[in-house]
Amino acid sequence: MIGFLAFAARRAAEGLWRNRVMSLAATITMVLMLVLLASLMIILSGMQAGLALIESRVEMRAELFDGVAQERVEELTRQLTALPEVAQVSYVSKDEALRRFRAQLAAGGHEDLTEVVGANPLPAQLVVRLRDPKSFGSVRQTLASPAGVVSRIVDQQSSVDRLVSITSWLRVVGLIIIALVGLTVLLIVVNSIRMAVMSRSDEIEIMRLVGASDAFVRWPLIFEGVIIGALGALVTLGLLSLAAGPISQLAGIIAVDLPVASGGRLATDLILVISGVGVMLGGLGAWISVRAYLGSPQAR
Amino acid sequence: MIAVLDEAHAPDAKPRPAVDLRDVSKVYANGRQALAEVDLTIPAGDFVFLVGPSGAGKSTLIRLLLRDELPTTGLIRVGSYEVSAMRSRDVPRLRRHIGTVFQDFKLLPRKTVRENVAFALEVTGSPRRLVSTAVDRVLELVGLTAQAEQRPAQLSGGEQQRTAIARAMVHQPRVFIADEPTGNLDPLISWEIIRLLLHINDLGTTVLMATHNAEVVTALRKRVVALDEGRVVRDAVGGYHGSH
Repeated sequence: MIGFLAFAARRAAEGLWRNRVMSLAATITMVLMLVLLASLMIILSGMQAGLALIESRVEMRAELFDGVAQERVEELTRQLTALPEVAQVSYVSKDEALRRFRAQLAAGGHEDLTEVVGANPLPAQLVVRLRDPKSFGSVRQTLASPAGVVSRIVDQQSSVDRLVSITSWLRVVGLIIIALVGLTVLLIVVNSIRMAVMSRSDEIEIMRLVGASDAFVRWPLIFEGVIIGALGALVTLGLLSLAAGPISQLAGIIAVDLPVASGGRLATDLILVISGVGVMLGGLGAWISVRAYLGSPQAR
Repeated sequence: MIAVLDEAHAPDAKPRPAVDLRDVSKVYANGRQALAEVDLTIPAGDFVFLVGPSGAGKSTLIRLLLRDELPTTGLIRVGSYEVSAMRSRDVPRLRRHIGTVFQDFKLLPRKTVRENVAFALEVTGSPRRLVSTAVDRVLELVGLTAQAEQRPAQLSGGEQQRTAIARAMVHQPRVFIADEPTGNLDPLISWEIIRLLLHINDLGTTVLMATHNAEVVTALRKRVVALDEGRVVRDAVGGYHGSH
Protein backbone atom coordinates (compact mmCIF):
# COMPACT_ATOMS: atom_id res chain seq x y z
CA MET A 1 0.00 0.00 0.00
CA ILE A 2 2.77 2.42 0.95
CA GLY A 3 4.67 1.29 -2.11
CA PHE A 4 1.61 2.00 -4.24
CA LEU A 5 1.13 5.46 -2.75
CA ALA A 6 4.80 6.27 -3.26
CA PHE A 7 4.55 5.06 -6.85
CA ALA A 8 1.41 7.11 -7.52
CA ALA A 9 2.84 10.24 -5.90
CA ARG A 10 6.15 9.90 -7.78
CA ARG A 11 4.42 9.50 -11.12
CA ALA A 12 2.01 12.36 -10.36
CA ALA A 13 4.93 14.67 -9.61
CA GLU A 14 6.65 13.51 -12.82
CA GLY A 15 3.49 14.21 -14.78
CA LEU A 16 3.00 17.67 -13.29
CA TRP A 17 6.57 18.59 -14.12
CA ARG A 18 6.29 17.26 -17.67
CA ASN A 19 3.21 19.45 -18.31
CA ARG A 20 4.41 22.27 -16.11
CA VAL A 21 2.86 25.15 -18.09
CA MET A 22 -0.57 23.59 -17.99
CA SER A 23 -0.12 22.58 -14.34
CA LEU A 24 0.86 26.14 -13.47
CA ALA A 25 -2.14 27.58 -15.31
CA ALA A 26 -4.44 25.19 -13.49
CA THR A 27 -2.86 26.04 -10.13
CA ILE A 28 -3.12 29.80 -10.73
CA THR A 29 -6.81 29.56 -11.67
CA MET A 30 -7.33 27.42 -8.62
CA VAL A 31 -5.71 30.14 -6.46
CA LEU A 32 -7.90 32.82 -8.07
CA MET A 33 -11.04 30.87 -7.31
CA LEU A 34 -9.99 30.05 -3.76
CA VAL A 35 -9.07 33.70 -3.07
CA LEU A 36 -12.56 34.71 -4.24
CA LEU A 37 -14.06 32.07 -2.01
CA ALA A 38 -12.01 33.22 0.97
CA SER A 39 -12.95 36.86 0.33
CA LEU A 40 -16.62 35.99 0.24
CA MET A 41 -16.27 34.04 3.47
CA ILE A 42 -14.49 36.94 5.16
CA ILE A 43 -16.94 39.58 3.90
CA LEU A 44 -19.98 37.54 4.79
CA SER A 45 -18.53 36.76 8.17
CA GLY A 46 -17.91 40.49 8.68
CA MET A 47 -21.44 41.35 7.67
CA GLN A 48 -22.76 38.67 9.97
CA ALA A 49 -20.73 40.04 12.84
CA GLY A 50 -21.95 43.56 12.06
CA LEU A 51 -25.51 42.34 11.91
CA ALA A 52 -25.20 40.58 15.23
CA LEU A 53 -23.75 43.75 16.70
CA ILE A 54 -26.63 45.88 15.44
CA GLU A 55 -29.22 43.32 16.35
CA SER A 56 -27.91 43.08 19.89
CA ARG A 57 -28.60 46.81 20.17
CA VAL A 58 -32.01 46.69 18.62
CA GLU A 59 -34.62 48.17 20.81
CA MET A 60 -38.03 49.72 20.47
CA ARG A 61 -38.68 53.19 21.82
CA ALA A 62 -42.06 54.34 22.88
CA GLU A 63 -42.32 58.08 23.23
CA LEU A 64 -44.75 59.06 25.97
CA PHE A 65 -47.19 61.93 26.13
CA ASP A 66 -46.10 64.71 28.45
CA GLY A 67 -47.73 64.59 31.84
CA VAL A 68 -48.84 60.95 31.83
CA ALA A 69 -49.42 59.72 35.36
CA GLN A 70 -46.42 57.82 36.75
CA GLU A 71 -48.57 54.84 37.82
CA ARG A 72 -49.91 54.40 34.27
CA VAL A 73 -46.33 54.26 33.00
CA GLU A 74 -45.39 51.76 35.71
CA GLU A 75 -48.44 49.64 34.85
CA LEU A 76 -47.41 49.57 31.18
CA THR A 77 -43.84 48.69 32.15
CA ARG A 78 -45.13 45.75 34.21
CA GLN A 79 -47.25 44.53 31.30
CA LEU A 80 -44.29 44.76 28.92
CA THR A 81 -41.88 43.01 31.25
CA ALA A 82 -44.34 40.15 31.55
CA LEU A 83 -44.22 39.51 27.79
CA PRO A 84 -41.97 36.51 26.88
CA GLU A 85 -40.25 38.33 23.97
CA VAL A 86 -39.14 41.28 26.10
CA ALA A 87 -35.68 41.20 27.68
CA GLN A 88 -35.70 44.50 29.49
CA VAL A 89 -37.76 47.65 29.82
CA SER A 90 -36.20 50.89 30.99
CA TYR A 91 -37.68 54.32 31.59
CA VAL A 92 -35.96 57.44 30.29
CA SER A 93 -37.27 60.66 31.78
CA LYS A 94 -37.56 63.92 29.83
CA ASP A 95 -34.42 65.29 31.55
CA GLU A 96 -32.46 62.12 30.87
CA ALA A 97 -33.56 62.19 27.22
CA LEU A 98 -32.35 65.76 26.87
CA ARG A 99 -29.03 64.95 28.56
CA ARG A 100 -28.46 62.02 26.16
CA PHE A 101 -29.40 64.13 23.17
CA ARG A 102 -26.91 66.81 24.19
CA ALA A 103 -24.21 64.23 24.69
CA GLN A 104 -24.93 62.78 21.24
CA LEU A 105 -24.69 66.23 19.66
CA ALA A 106 -21.44 66.97 21.47
CA ALA A 107 -19.97 63.63 20.38
CA GLY A 108 -20.93 64.47 16.78
CA GLY A 109 -19.27 67.89 17.13
CA HIS A 110 -22.52 69.75 16.60
CA GLU A 111 -23.55 72.98 18.22
CA ASP A 112 -25.96 72.60 21.09
CA LEU A 113 -29.14 74.16 19.79
CA THR A 114 -31.25 73.02 22.70
CA GLU A 115 -30.13 76.12 24.60
CA VAL A 116 -32.13 78.22 22.18
CA VAL A 117 -35.35 76.41 22.94
CA GLY A 118 -36.57 77.45 26.36
CA ALA A 119 -38.41 74.28 27.38
CA ASN A 120 -37.32 70.67 27.01
CA PRO A 121 -38.90 69.51 23.73
CA LEU A 122 -38.05 65.85 24.19
CA PRO A 123 -40.62 63.33 25.43
CA ALA A 124 -40.04 60.79 28.16
CA GLN A 125 -39.50 57.29 26.73
CA LEU A 126 -39.85 53.62 27.47
CA VAL A 127 -36.97 51.67 25.92
CA VAL A 128 -37.90 48.05 25.26
CA ARG A 129 -35.07 45.62 24.56
CA LEU A 130 -36.18 42.44 22.84
CA ARG A 131 -34.83 38.93 23.38
CA ASP A 132 -34.93 38.23 19.64
CA PRO A 133 -34.84 41.34 17.45
CA LYS A 134 -36.89 39.61 14.79
CA SER A 135 -39.86 38.72 16.98
CA PHE A 136 -41.90 41.63 18.20
CA GLY A 137 -44.81 39.48 19.25
CA SER A 138 -47.42 41.63 20.91
CA VAL A 139 -45.00 44.35 22.09
CA ARG A 140 -46.30 46.91 19.65
CA GLN A 141 -49.90 46.05 20.52
CA THR A 142 -49.24 46.24 24.24
CA LEU A 143 -47.57 49.63 23.87
CA ALA A 144 -50.52 51.00 21.90
CA SER A 145 -53.29 49.58 24.04
CA PRO A 146 -53.60 52.05 26.95
CA ALA A 147 -55.08 55.24 25.54
CA GLY A 148 -53.13 58.45 26.03
CA VAL A 149 -49.83 56.98 27.21
CA VAL A 150 -47.66 56.30 24.15
CA SER A 151 -47.55 58.99 21.51
CA ARG A 152 -45.21 57.34 18.98
CA ILE A 153 -43.36 54.02 18.53
CA VAL A 154 -39.88 54.13 16.98
CA ASP A 155 -37.99 50.99 15.98
CA GLN A 156 -34.89 50.18 13.92
CA GLN A 157 -36.37 47.19 12.22
CA SER A 158 -36.16 48.70 8.75
CA SER A 159 -32.40 49.22 8.96
CA VAL A 160 -31.90 45.66 10.23
CA ASP A 161 -34.06 44.37 7.39
CA ARG A 162 -31.97 46.26 4.89
CA LEU A 163 -28.71 44.83 6.23
CA VAL A 164 -30.17 41.31 6.27
CA SER A 165 -31.25 41.67 2.66
CA ILE A 166 -27.82 43.02 1.61
CA THR A 167 -26.12 40.10 3.34
CA SER A 168 -28.32 37.47 1.72
CA TRP A 169 -28.03 39.19 -1.66
CA LEU A 170 -24.25 39.26 -1.33
CA ARG A 171 -24.26 35.62 -0.36
CA VAL A 172 -26.27 34.64 -3.45
CA VAL A 173 -24.25 36.75 -5.88
CA GLY A 174 -20.99 35.65 -4.29
CA LEU A 175 -21.93 32.00 -4.49
CA ILE A 176 -22.95 32.36 -8.14
CA ILE A 177 -19.61 34.00 -8.98
CA ILE A 178 -17.73 31.34 -7.08
CA ALA A 179 -19.74 28.57 -8.75
CA LEU A 180 -18.84 30.01 -12.17
CA VAL A 181 -15.16 30.38 -11.32
CA GLY A 182 -15.28 26.92 -9.74
CA LEU A 183 -16.66 25.50 -12.97
CA THR A 184 -13.85 27.19 -14.89
CA VAL A 185 -11.30 25.72 -12.51
CA LEU A 186 -12.88 22.31 -12.96
CA LEU A 187 -12.67 22.56 -16.75
CA ILE A 188 -9.05 23.69 -16.58
CA VAL A 189 -8.14 20.80 -14.28
CA VAL A 190 -10.02 18.39 -16.58
CA ASN A 191 -8.05 19.75 -19.52
CA SER A 192 -4.77 19.64 -17.65
CA ILE A 193 -5.27 15.98 -16.76
CA ARG A 194 -6.42 15.26 -20.32
CA MET A 195 -3.04 16.58 -21.49
CA ALA A 196 -1.37 14.33 -18.93
CA VAL A 197 -3.34 11.34 -20.21
CA MET A 198 -2.41 12.13 -23.80
CA SER A 199 1.23 12.82 -23.10
CA ARG A 200 1.58 9.42 -21.47
CA SER A 201 -0.78 7.43 -23.67
CA ASP A 202 2.18 5.26 -24.71
CA GLU A 203 2.99 4.50 -21.09
CA ILE A 204 -0.65 3.76 -20.31
CA GLU A 205 -0.85 1.36 -23.25
CA ILE A 206 2.23 -0.47 -22.00
CA MET A 207 0.95 -0.51 -18.44
CA ARG A 208 -2.23 -2.22 -19.55
CA LEU A 209 -0.28 -4.60 -21.75
CA VAL A 210 1.99 -5.79 -18.96
CA GLY A 211 -0.90 -6.26 -16.56
CA ALA A 212 -0.94 -3.12 -14.42
CA SER A 213 -4.15 -2.99 -12.45
CA ASP A 214 -6.49 -0.11 -13.01
CA ALA A 215 -5.49 1.61 -9.78
CA PHE A 216 -1.90 1.95 -11.03
CA VAL A 217 -3.11 3.56 -14.23
CA ARG A 218 -5.69 5.91 -12.70
CA TRP A 219 -4.50 7.01 -9.28
CA PRO A 220 -1.33 8.81 -10.37
CA LEU A 221 -3.50 10.95 -12.68
CA ILE A 222 -6.05 11.63 -9.95
CA PHE A 223 -3.15 12.51 -7.63
CA GLU A 224 -2.07 15.11 -10.18
CA GLY A 225 -5.42 16.85 -9.81
CA VAL A 226 -5.29 16.57 -6.04
CA ILE A 227 -1.78 18.06 -5.98
CA ILE A 228 -2.95 21.00 -8.15
CA GLY A 229 -5.78 21.57 -5.67
CA ALA A 230 -3.52 21.27 -2.64
CA LEU A 231 -0.92 23.61 -4.14
CA GLY A 232 -3.64 26.13 -4.96
CA ALA A 233 -4.97 25.93 -1.41
CA LEU A 234 -1.47 26.32 0.03
CA VAL A 235 -0.73 29.44 -2.03
CA THR A 236 -4.15 30.90 -1.18
CA LEU A 237 -3.68 30.31 2.54
CA GLY A 238 -0.22 31.83 2.29
CA LEU A 239 -1.66 34.96 0.70
CA LEU A 240 -4.39 35.08 3.33
CA SER A 241 -1.97 34.81 6.22
CA LEU A 242 -0.12 37.81 4.78
CA ALA A 243 -3.42 39.70 4.51
CA ALA A 244 -4.80 38.62 7.89
CA GLY A 245 -3.23 41.54 9.83
CA PRO A 246 -4.61 44.33 7.61
CA ILE A 247 -8.02 42.62 7.40
CA SER A 248 -8.30 42.42 11.18
CA GLN A 249 -7.28 46.07 11.49
CA LEU A 250 -9.89 47.10 8.94
CA ALA A 251 -12.53 45.08 10.71
CA GLY A 252 -11.49 46.65 14.00
CA ILE A 253 -12.06 50.12 12.54
CA ILE A 254 -15.66 49.30 11.70
CA ALA A 255 -16.07 47.89 15.19
CA VAL A 256 -16.40 44.31 14.07
CA ASP A 257 -14.46 41.48 15.61
CA LEU A 258 -13.22 39.27 12.75
CA PRO A 259 -11.34 36.24 14.05
CA VAL A 260 -9.28 36.03 10.85
CA ALA A 261 -5.85 35.94 12.48
CA SER A 262 -4.27 32.58 13.20
CA GLY A 263 -6.07 30.61 15.86
CA GLY A 264 -9.34 32.44 15.31
CA ARG A 265 -12.51 30.57 14.48
CA LEU A 266 -12.75 32.15 11.01
CA ALA A 267 -9.09 31.27 10.37
CA THR A 268 -9.78 27.61 11.19
CA ASP A 269 -12.88 27.63 8.98
CA LEU A 270 -10.91 29.20 6.15
CA ILE A 271 -8.11 26.63 6.37
CA LEU A 272 -10.60 23.77 6.34
CA VAL A 273 -12.82 25.15 3.58
CA ILE A 274 -10.01 26.35 1.30
CA SER A 275 -7.98 23.13 1.56
CA GLY A 276 -11.11 20.99 1.28
CA VAL A 277 -12.50 22.81 -1.74
CA GLY A 278 -9.11 22.92 -3.46
CA VAL A 279 -8.32 19.24 -3.01
CA MET A 280 -11.85 18.14 -3.85
CA LEU A 281 -12.09 20.28 -6.96
CA GLY A 282 -8.67 19.08 -8.17
CA GLY A 283 -9.53 15.45 -7.49
CA LEU A 284 -12.96 15.76 -9.08
CA GLY A 285 -11.58 17.40 -12.22
CA ALA A 286 -8.95 14.67 -12.56
CA TRP A 287 -11.52 11.97 -11.92
CA ILE A 288 -13.83 13.36 -14.62
CA SER A 289 -10.92 13.56 -17.03
CA VAL A 290 -9.66 10.05 -16.29
CA ARG A 291 -13.18 8.73 -16.70
CA ALA A 292 -13.68 10.58 -19.98
CA TYR A 293 -10.32 9.87 -21.58
CA LEU A 294 -9.45 6.44 -20.18
CA GLY A 295 -12.98 5.05 -20.26
CA SER A 296 -14.70 3.27 -17.44
CA PRO A 297 -12.47 0.95 -15.39
CA GLN A 298 -10.98 -1.79 -17.52
CA ALA A 299 -12.71 -0.74 -20.70
CA ARG A 300 -10.00 -2.59 -22.60
CA MET B 1 -18.71 -28.76 -13.77
CA ILE B 2 -17.03 -30.46 -10.81
CA ALA B 3 -15.78 -33.15 -13.13
CA VAL B 4 -14.19 -30.49 -15.31
CA LEU B 5 -12.49 -28.88 -12.35
CA ASP B 6 -11.14 -32.20 -11.17
CA GLU B 7 -9.87 -33.19 -14.59
CA ALA B 8 -6.39 -31.90 -13.93
CA HIS B 9 -6.06 -34.05 -10.82
CA ALA B 10 -7.37 -37.26 -12.35
CA PRO B 11 -4.55 -39.80 -12.80
CA ASP B 12 -4.92 -40.21 -16.55
CA ALA B 13 -5.95 -36.60 -17.33
CA LYS B 14 -4.18 -34.67 -20.05
CA PRO B 15 -2.48 -31.49 -18.81
CA ARG B 16 -4.50 -28.32 -19.31
CA PRO B 17 -3.77 -26.69 -22.69
CA ALA B 18 -1.98 -23.35 -22.68
CA VAL B 19 -4.50 -21.85 -25.10
CA ASP B 20 -7.92 -23.18 -25.97
CA LEU B 21 -10.44 -21.61 -28.35
CA ARG B 22 -13.84 -23.22 -28.92
CA ASP B 23 -16.02 -22.06 -31.79
CA VAL B 24 -14.83 -18.48 -31.47
CA SER B 25 -16.32 -15.82 -33.73
CA LYS B 26 -15.79 -12.10 -33.72
CA VAL B 27 -17.99 -9.68 -35.59
CA TYR B 28 -17.14 -6.00 -35.24
CA ALA B 29 -19.75 -3.28 -34.77
CA ASN B 30 -19.39 -2.32 -38.44
CA GLY B 31 -20.48 -5.82 -39.42
CA ARG B 32 -17.06 -7.09 -40.48
CA GLN B 33 -16.48 -10.70 -39.50
CA ALA B 34 -12.90 -10.93 -38.26
CA LEU B 35 -13.01 -14.51 -36.97
CA ALA B 36 -15.45 -17.31 -37.79
CA GLU B 37 -15.92 -20.49 -35.76
CA VAL B 38 -12.27 -20.84 -34.81
CA ASP B 39 -11.27 -23.96 -32.86
CA LEU B 40 -7.69 -23.97 -31.71
CA THR B 41 -5.93 -25.86 -28.94
CA ILE B 42 -2.29 -25.22 -28.12
CA PRO B 43 -0.81 -27.67 -25.59
CA ALA B 44 1.45 -26.25 -22.91
CA GLY B 45 5.06 -25.97 -24.07
CA ASP B 46 4.30 -25.83 -27.80
CA PHE B 47 5.71 -23.42 -30.35
CA VAL B 48 3.06 -22.41 -32.89
CA PHE B 49 3.19 -20.10 -35.89
CA LEU B 50 0.11 -18.14 -36.80
CA VAL B 51 0.16 -17.18 -40.48
CA GLY B 52 -2.15 -15.70 -43.06
CA PRO B 53 -2.55 -12.63 -45.24
CA SER B 54 -3.18 -9.20 -43.74
CA GLY B 55 -6.72 -8.98 -42.49
CA ALA B 56 -6.99 -12.75 -42.02
CA GLY B 57 -7.73 -12.31 -38.31
CA LYS B 58 -4.31 -12.87 -36.69
CA SER B 59 -4.33 -9.59 -34.79
CA THR B 60 -7.95 -10.06 -33.74
CA LEU B 61 -7.09 -13.51 -32.38
CA ILE B 62 -4.22 -12.02 -30.34
CA ARG B 63 -6.43 -9.22 -29.04
CA LEU B 64 -9.01 -11.76 -27.93
CA LEU B 65 -6.36 -13.82 -26.10
CA LEU B 66 -5.20 -10.66 -24.27
CA ARG B 67 -8.83 -9.71 -23.64
CA ASP B 68 -8.32 -6.47 -25.42
CA GLU B 69 -11.64 -7.42 -26.98
CA LEU B 70 -14.35 -9.95 -26.27
CA PRO B 71 -15.48 -12.61 -28.73
CA THR B 72 -18.96 -12.30 -30.18
CA THR B 73 -19.51 -15.99 -29.51
CA GLY B 74 -17.38 -18.91 -28.31
CA LEU B 75 -15.13 -19.79 -25.40
CA ILE B 76 -11.53 -18.72 -24.89
CA ARG B 77 -9.30 -20.13 -22.22
CA VAL B 78 -5.65 -19.26 -21.53
CA GLY B 79 -4.19 -21.55 -18.89
CA SER B 80 -6.68 -21.46 -16.04
CA TYR B 81 -8.18 -18.15 -17.18
CA GLU B 82 -11.64 -18.21 -18.72
CA VAL B 83 -10.84 -15.22 -20.90
CA SER B 84 -14.26 -14.89 -22.50
CA ALA B 85 -16.07 -14.92 -19.15
CA MET B 86 -13.67 -13.33 -16.67
CA ARG B 87 -14.35 -10.24 -14.60
CA SER B 88 -12.72 -7.02 -15.73
CA ARG B 89 -10.66 -6.70 -12.60
CA ASP B 90 -9.01 -10.08 -13.24
CA VAL B 91 -7.72 -8.93 -16.63
CA PRO B 92 -4.40 -7.59 -15.27
CA ARG B 93 -3.57 -11.03 -13.85
CA LEU B 94 -4.27 -12.61 -17.23
CA ARG B 95 -1.93 -10.11 -18.87
CA ARG B 96 0.85 -11.01 -16.44
CA HIS B 97 0.29 -14.64 -17.37
CA ILE B 98 0.91 -13.74 -21.04
CA GLY B 99 4.08 -12.04 -22.28
CA THR B 100 3.55 -10.01 -25.44
CA VAL B 101 5.76 -8.33 -28.01
CA PHE B 102 4.84 -6.43 -31.16
CA GLN B 103 6.38 -5.35 -34.43
CA ASP B 104 6.80 -1.80 -33.09
CA PHE B 105 8.51 -2.79 -29.79
CA LYS B 106 6.49 -0.25 -27.74
CA LEU B 107 9.45 0.89 -25.65
CA LEU B 108 9.49 4.14 -23.67
CA PRO B 109 12.10 6.37 -25.32
CA ARG B 110 12.99 8.33 -22.17
CA LYS B 111 13.77 5.24 -20.14
CA THR B 112 16.88 3.09 -20.31
CA VAL B 113 16.73 -0.62 -21.17
CA ARG B 114 16.82 -1.45 -17.47
CA GLU B 115 14.07 1.11 -16.67
CA ASN B 116 11.89 -0.11 -19.51
CA VAL B 117 12.03 -3.64 -18.17
CA ALA B 118 11.67 -2.56 -14.54
CA PHE B 119 8.61 -0.48 -15.51
CA ALA B 120 6.59 -3.67 -16.07
CA LEU B 121 7.30 -4.70 -12.48
CA GLU B 122 6.83 -1.28 -10.91
CA VAL B 123 3.39 -0.73 -12.46
CA THR B 124 2.22 -4.11 -11.25
CA GLY B 125 3.21 -3.36 -7.68
CA SER B 126 6.31 -5.53 -7.32
CA PRO B 127 8.33 -4.73 -4.21
CA ARG B 128 11.30 -2.56 -5.17
CA ARG B 129 13.90 -4.85 -3.66
CA LEU B 130 12.79 -7.68 -6.01
CA VAL B 131 12.79 -5.55 -9.15
CA SER B 132 16.55 -5.25 -9.55
CA THR B 133 17.32 -8.98 -9.40
CA ALA B 134 14.38 -9.87 -11.66
CA VAL B 135 15.52 -7.31 -14.24
CA ASP B 136 19.12 -8.57 -14.14
CA ARG B 137 17.86 -12.10 -14.70
CA VAL B 138 15.84 -11.30 -17.87
CA LEU B 139 18.49 -8.96 -19.27
CA GLU B 140 20.90 -11.87 -19.03
CA LEU B 141 18.31 -14.14 -20.70
CA VAL B 142 18.04 -11.83 -23.73
CA GLY B 143 21.75 -10.92 -23.72
CA LEU B 144 21.44 -7.21 -23.01
CA THR B 145 23.34 -6.95 -19.73
CA ALA B 146 25.95 -4.70 -21.33
CA GLN B 147 23.34 -2.36 -22.84
CA ALA B 148 21.27 -2.00 -19.64
CA GLU B 149 21.93 1.72 -19.22
CA GLN B 150 21.32 2.71 -22.85
CA ARG B 151 18.17 4.26 -24.21
CA PRO B 152 16.15 2.73 -27.07
CA ALA B 153 17.42 5.30 -29.57
CA GLN B 154 20.99 4.08 -28.95
CA LEU B 155 20.06 0.47 -29.71
CA SER B 156 19.73 -1.50 -32.96
CA GLY B 157 16.30 -2.79 -33.96
CA GLY B 158 17.19 -6.28 -32.80
CA GLU B 159 18.33 -4.97 -29.41
CA GLN B 160 15.13 -2.98 -29.07
CA GLN B 161 13.04 -6.08 -29.74
CA ARG B 162 15.16 -8.02 -27.23
CA THR B 163 14.42 -5.29 -24.68
CA ALA B 164 10.71 -5.74 -25.40
CA ILE B 165 11.10 -9.51 -24.99
CA ALA B 166 12.89 -8.99 -21.68
CA ARG B 167 10.04 -6.79 -20.50
CA ALA B 168 7.48 -9.39 -21.62
CA MET B 169 9.41 -12.14 -19.79
CA VAL B 170 9.93 -10.33 -16.51
CA HIS B 171 6.64 -11.63 -15.07
CA GLN B 172 7.70 -15.19 -16.00
CA PRO B 173 4.64 -15.71 -18.21
CA ARG B 174 3.43 -19.21 -19.11
CA VAL B 175 2.40 -18.05 -22.58
CA PHE B 176 4.38 -15.80 -24.90
CA ILE B 177 2.67 -14.07 -27.81
CA ALA B 178 4.77 -12.41 -30.50
CA ASP B 179 2.85 -10.38 -33.10
CA GLU B 180 5.11 -9.94 -36.15
CA PRO B 181 8.20 -9.62 -33.94
CA THR B 182 10.56 -9.58 -36.92
CA GLY B 183 8.42 -7.37 -39.15
CA ASN B 184 10.76 -4.39 -38.78
CA LEU B 185 14.03 -6.32 -38.74
CA ASP B 186 16.42 -7.48 -41.44
CA PRO B 187 16.80 -11.25 -41.99
CA LEU B 188 19.97 -11.75 -39.96
CA ILE B 189 18.60 -9.91 -36.95
CA SER B 190 15.28 -11.72 -37.40
CA TRP B 191 17.00 -15.05 -36.86
CA GLU B 192 18.56 -13.69 -33.67
CA ILE B 193 15.07 -12.94 -32.35
CA ILE B 194 13.69 -16.32 -33.49
CA ARG B 195 16.54 -18.11 -31.71
CA LEU B 196 15.70 -16.18 -28.56
CA LEU B 197 12.02 -17.19 -28.83
CA LEU B 198 13.05 -20.83 -29.35
CA HIS B 199 15.20 -20.59 -26.24
CA ILE B 200 12.28 -19.17 -24.25
CA ASN B 201 10.16 -22.05 -25.57
CA ASP B 202 12.86 -24.53 -24.45
CA LEU B 203 12.59 -23.09 -20.95
CA GLY B 204 8.95 -24.21 -20.90
CA THR B 205 6.98 -21.19 -22.10
CA THR B 206 4.34 -21.78 -24.76
CA VAL B 207 5.02 -19.51 -27.75
CA LEU B 208 2.51 -18.26 -30.31
CA MET B 209 4.09 -16.22 -33.06
CA ALA B 210 2.14 -14.42 -35.77
CA THR B 211 4.34 -13.78 -38.77
CA HIS B 212 4.64 -13.16 -42.49
CA ASN B 213 8.18 -14.48 -42.50
CA ALA B 214 7.87 -17.51 -44.83
CA GLU B 215 11.57 -18.32 -44.64
CA VAL B 216 11.49 -18.74 -40.87
CA VAL B 217 8.25 -20.72 -40.84
CA THR B 218 9.44 -23.10 -43.57
CA ALA B 219 12.84 -23.62 -41.99
CA LEU B 220 11.68 -24.42 -38.46
CA ARG B 221 9.13 -27.18 -39.15
CA LYS B 222 6.92 -26.21 -36.20
CA ARG B 223 3.13 -26.38 -36.04
CA VAL B 224 1.59 -23.79 -38.39
CA VAL B 225 -1.96 -22.49 -38.05
CA ALA B 226 -3.09 -20.62 -41.15
CA LEU B 227 -5.96 -18.16 -41.03
CA ASP B 228 -7.82 -16.77 -44.02
CA GLU B 229 -10.85 -14.52 -43.85
CA GLY B 230 -11.25 -15.32 -40.19
CA ARG B 231 -11.22 -19.11 -40.56
CA VAL B 232 -8.56 -21.70 -39.78
CA VAL B 233 -7.76 -23.00 -43.26
CA ARG B 234 -4.81 -25.19 -42.31
CA ASP B 235 -3.33 -26.59 -39.10
CA ALA B 236 -0.29 -28.77 -39.70
CA VAL B 237 3.40 -29.11 -39.03
CA GLY B 238 5.75 -27.25 -41.36
CA GLY B 239 5.31 -25.09 -44.47
CA TYR B 240 4.08 -21.56 -44.94
CA HIS B 241 0.51 -21.00 -46.16
CA GLY B 242 -0.10 -24.68 -47.04
CA SER B 243 -0.74 -23.86 -50.69
CA HIS B 244 2.99 -23.22 -51.34
